[in-house]
Amino acid sequence: MADSNPVIKVLKAGDSTKPDPFTIAIIANPALEAPWNTGQFVLDPITFDPKAFDAAAQYICDVLFGRLANQGEQFLADPAIAPKIRVVSLFVEDLNAEDANSLAAQDTDSNLLIARRTVFSPFLQRYGLEADVAYAVSESTKHTRASAWYTSDDDARGGVPFQLDGVSLFHRYYCRIPGTVAIHANATSMTALHEFGHALSSYSNGMVVDLYVDSGPALNCKTGRPIPPKFAIYDTAQNASDPKRDSLGYPSGWKSYHCEMIDPGFPALMDDYWQAPDHIPEHSRHDRITRQFLSDRVRAKIAR
Amino acid sequence: MEPLKPERKREIFEASPAATPQEIAEYEALLAERFTVDPDLPRGPEMLKLRQRKSERLKELQRKLFPETEAEASEEGMT
Repeated sequence: MADSNPVIKVLKAGDSTKPDPFTIAIIANPALEAPWNTGQFVLDPITFDPKAFDAAAQYICDVLFGRLANQGEQFLADPAIAPKIRVVSLFVEDLNAEDANSLAAQDTDSNLLIARRTVFSPFLQRYGLEADVAYAVSESTKHTRASAWYTSDDDARGGVPFQLDGVSLFHRYYCRIPGTVAIHANATSMTALHEFGHALSSYSNGMVVDLYVDSGPALNCKTGRPIPPKFAIYDTAQNASDPKRDSLGYPSGWKSYHCEMIDPGFPALMDDYWQAPDHIPEHSRHDRITRQFLSDRVRAKIAR
Repeated sequence: MEPLKPERKREIFEASPAATPQEIAEYEALLAERFTVDPDLPRGPEMLKLRQRKSERLKELQRKLFPETEAEASEEGMT
């Protein structure tokens, strides 16, 4: 079947003065690999449901730019950032269920959707598109939970240097493989922004990891007990540790600890935001170092 | 990785009363850890062995925590 009918919508124009503005792509996943890593492909039901895809794309765009009701986290809505970001959606009908058209897989060990990260860029290029972060939206019947892979930076190209606890790293301008998210069309609340936190971060220049498990060391997570008062020095800024893990508390066996919160009344956005004490997950915000890191990373990319 | 919704955790305990919060935490940690390893990096034999052990533990926990998924997979010939 020919790629004859792509529907590309520009949800945000971004910086039109740049040949390659920082771009977030939201794609209706043509085919699911089911199960993951088997080479077996089926058509994704989202390809027959453009209304559901459009609603999901609008939801993703809304939560990215802080437009949900009660939403606390607004870092991309910064007037110095938001107008520079391009957001496009792509819906293509009638593609074959095959490797080159499969952007998401169904995990064998869970109900996670898993992005097939290396397929995104070649797929987008067929339609004249590129992305720094890309979402594949699925309507899988059984796999409904979102996940993301971090960006693989292009470390051979330039970037804005920064220091993390005395180590020199870079907010790279370009990626080799974009940060990729697989998300269900029925996703709600902070899920798309939580996954963006992972996807925008980097394997080589700082990973933003999940804080609701006892994760290993990363940009937003450290390990050890007792919890020291100081979490990390990011550039010249000293960030304190969160001694209590905001409203959730650290389980007794955990070795990991986190950075101080901007609003300690709610779980961090990379933590279990479903457990917001007022049952409004939209109140969750990033902790201090995560917010600064992600903001600086976007600023570097929009300035390239 | 999207955190488990509270209702999903309740469903786990209903479907698998012997499940413990520690097992759910271990299962979640093993799932999340997969994404923190750069898929591009070459893996030596020791890393591959460790990965295999973690994968087996993940499947063991999945069978315990989600017996209905296991049953469905068996019916579909996926096990």
